[in-house]
Amino acid sequence: MTSQAKTAKSRFNYIDNLNLIVTPVFAAILIILAATVWNYSEFDQTTENILRPSLLISQLWETILIGILSSLIVIAVAVPLGITITRRGYPGLKTFLVDSLGLAQALPAYGLIVVFYTFLGTGMPTAIYALALFSLLPVLRNTIVGLEQVDRSVIDAGRGMGYTNLQILFKIELPLAIPIIIAGIRTAVVINVGMAALAFLVGAGGLGETINSGLKLNRPTAIFIGASLVAILALVLDFLGALAEKYLKPKGI
Amino acid sequence: MNNESFFSSWFDYAASRTDLIQEGVLTHLLYVVLVVTSATIFAVTVAVLTRRNRFFKELSLAITSVFLTIPSLALFTIFIPIVGLGFTPSFIALFLYSLLPILRNTITGLESIDPNILDSARGMGYTRNQILFKIEFPLAWPVILAGIRVAAMLTVGIAAIATLVAGGGIGDFIKSGLARLPLPNSLEAIWTGVLLSIILAFAIDSFLRILKRISTSKGIL
Amino acid sequence: MSDVLIKLENIEKSYTPGEPAAVRNLNLEVMRGEVLVLVGPSGCGKSTTLRLINRLIEPTKGKIYLNGEDVTDINGSQLRRRIGYVIQQVGLFPHKTIAENIATVPKLLGWKKEEIDKRVDELLEVVSMDPEVFKDRYPKELSGGQAQRVGVARALAANPDVLLMDEPFGAIDPITRDRLQNEFLRLQQDLKKTIVFVTHDIDEAIKMGDRIAILREGSEIAQLDTPENILTEPADDFVESFLGSGAILKGLTLKKVRDIQLQPITTLKAPVLRDKAIQSINENNDSFAILLDHNDHPLRWLDERALNRTNQPIEKSGRPIAVFIQPEDTLQDALSAMLQSSVGMSVVVDRRGKYLGCCTIESLAKLLVHESPVK
Repeated sequence: MTSQAKTAKSRFNYIDNLNLIVTPVFAAILIILAATVWNYSEFDQTTENILRPSLLISQLWETILIGILSSLIVIAVAVPLGITITRRGYPGLKTFLVDSLGLAQALPAYGLIVVFYTFLGTGMPTAIYALALFSLLPVLRNTIVGLEQVDRSVIDAGRGMGYTNLQILFKIELPLAIPIIIAGIRTAVVINVGMAALAFLVGAGGLGETINSGLKLNRPTAIFIGASLVAILALVLDFLGALAEKYLKPKGI
Repeated sequence: MNNESFFSSWFDYAASRTDLIQEGVLTHLLYVVLVVTSATIFAVTVAVLTRRNRFFKELSLAITSVFLTIPSLALFTIFIPIVGLGFTPSFIALFLYSLLPILRNTITGLESIDPNILDSARGMGYTRNQILFKIEFPLAWPVILAGIRVAAMLTVGIAAIATLVAGGGIGDFIKSGLARLPLPNSLEAIWTGVLLSIILAFAIDSFLRILKRISTSKGIL
Repeated sequence: MSDVLIKLENIEKSYTPGEPAAVRNLNLEVMRGEVLVLVGPSGCGKSTTLRLINRLIEPTKGKIYLNGEDVTDINGSQLRRRIGYVIQQVGLFPHKTIAENIATVPKLLGWKKEEIDKRVDELLEVVSMDPEVFKDRYPKELSGGQAQRVGVARALAANPDVLLMDEPFGAIDPITRDRLQNEFLRLQQDLKKTIVFVTHDIDEAIKMGDRIAILREGSEIAQLDTPENILTEPADDFVESFLGSGAILKGLTLKKVRDIQLQPITTLKAPVLRDKAIQSINENNDSFAILLDHNDHPLRWLDERALNRTNQPIEKSGRPIAVFIQPEDTLQDALSAMLQSSVGMSVVVDRRGKYLGCCTIESLAKLLVHESPVK
């Protein structure tokens, strides 16, 4: 009877963490595919040029940089903004923001980046700001929702024990809202790294450049390798984010 | 840049290209309709088939979730070596993206039905298929439709990238504008693309709202 | 035509091998036209047994007979269309109107539209709900009691011979539950269905059942008999402890008001003059009279002192009569009504509210002493 219970428990955990398993599996499959293509296809001169390892690495670095920087900006803006909005109860604004996420998903990132380009010109900052704006809403929304769903009675108890409002914010509300906020940040990071692939449009480099070259010069191998690299990068970051979500959760939730 | 003159030149630009606009919007709309319809059929079928088996249910959710994690440019281009350029890779990518919202909502919708209703339905003599089509789908429909709405919005936004793989759509305006900067009419082209996208999204969203109201039973609205 | 409508033969239901079965070697016969109540402690298997009858749960062993026919292996859905099924949470389909809900099984059986519409109206009347008002409403607009009435109507729609009810009144407030139980008993008098009724409440079992099966764990029958016999001769300690103390009081639900001899009390029909009223009361040596309206509906208790307060019109003298009992109500209802009234007696009216007589505590006691259900 006890051994039955134990196996049931470990099987239980295995299915629940399927998310955590599938992502790295996909990444692994892509790595294998990309490596196979890399090793076994004939590179002509053009492809060789596009797929220079040093170039790829610097593009990889650029993509990560753009993705991380824009995410940091988003966090720095969205989280305090979310906190502020939930403080004094701007109920109309709150509902508007939470509801408008639906329509906002339809914003073309492609268009947004180009528009920013027309105002800010070429270069990394353009891409970074565009992406920051693009992923602002999800993080903002998650911050608001995360703070709102904190059980009122816990806050009440804190107030009753003599916590100031600031202490309540930092010791009760934020810790309890962390899981949802982190989920939002994780989404933002993935979106931003993904969209960083479009940074080449504004001359900011990144792995999208490889894909674009491959498209322009009609080299499927390059296209595939470039796309795989972007995908692998996103999957790895998502996996790390999932781990963060799982292990940064305050114990007891 | 003078605002007034920009608006007027923009208006001229748009007015003289109504056929292009029409073509772009129609292609875009075609993407949305085809993708959402096929994704709905596929995702709902998967949801119904896997709902009793926890492993397969979680697996399908995890896999479709991975699709959504893969950046759009990558997913649009990764199949090109196999299927070439144009409509096909765009369709595949948009299809894969749309799966998760619809799948997840269908599963949630079906699971949130009061089991007493299903028990009394069985007890009265409905077969399992009859229960699925006459009771479960109608009751889960609002939630499923919400998932369809998310998928539609996603598709409208991401389909702009189709232009990069010669897939047409509203993105064409943005691309041509970008390519010709800072020549005349380039800015107008870009803004046309962005604006059309927003308008189309709004139109589709409104359509879905109306659809929800007329297709949902009054008893559960 | 056999008297036995439902027969469960050597039924066993076991979920996990090695663990005790939920239903162990059950043999049960339900007679045509009777209300058989399955009652027992939580987890004894009574709901499982009920659901074995319409095969919502399939037996692991044994046979089920419906009107002589072996239905153990026939198509389950088709079997269930012949049996009415009512559950505690009702389970009305929220996306369908009341009419559509009730029409479910007739539609499945292919009735014509006009027949169905007529039947829906008929059934709503039967459960005391105005068809015009409720036909096109939705379940979310109904109260608990109304929902369960619709549930019963829905179960009766295709006119099944058998009705299965699983704690149908369990989720309803006690006042409404009492009313629904009484209405249901009246209904059964007219319809004479064969009903298997599950409850955990022994008082409900005694009130509703023609026969009661008291079940132990594993759906083992501890005693199967009429309520009177069980009350007077419990089979063993288990049954006795399940009955609880107060068997006499429980017996009060077995007899009806119509079994009591009603007392004549002075009645006055409005409009009446004050002096005449006082005179009548004195003439009959009563302490008070009952004021009736022109339809013979009782309105107020009039006592002499109240009448002597001349500053009030006669229609406002005395105390209003608030509680009425009917001949089909149980002695328990009568006792409760009498205790509520300030004069220690209760007014009995017929279905239309017309005055029939008065019921006093003395006459109740006399009935109990002379024809005591508990020897």
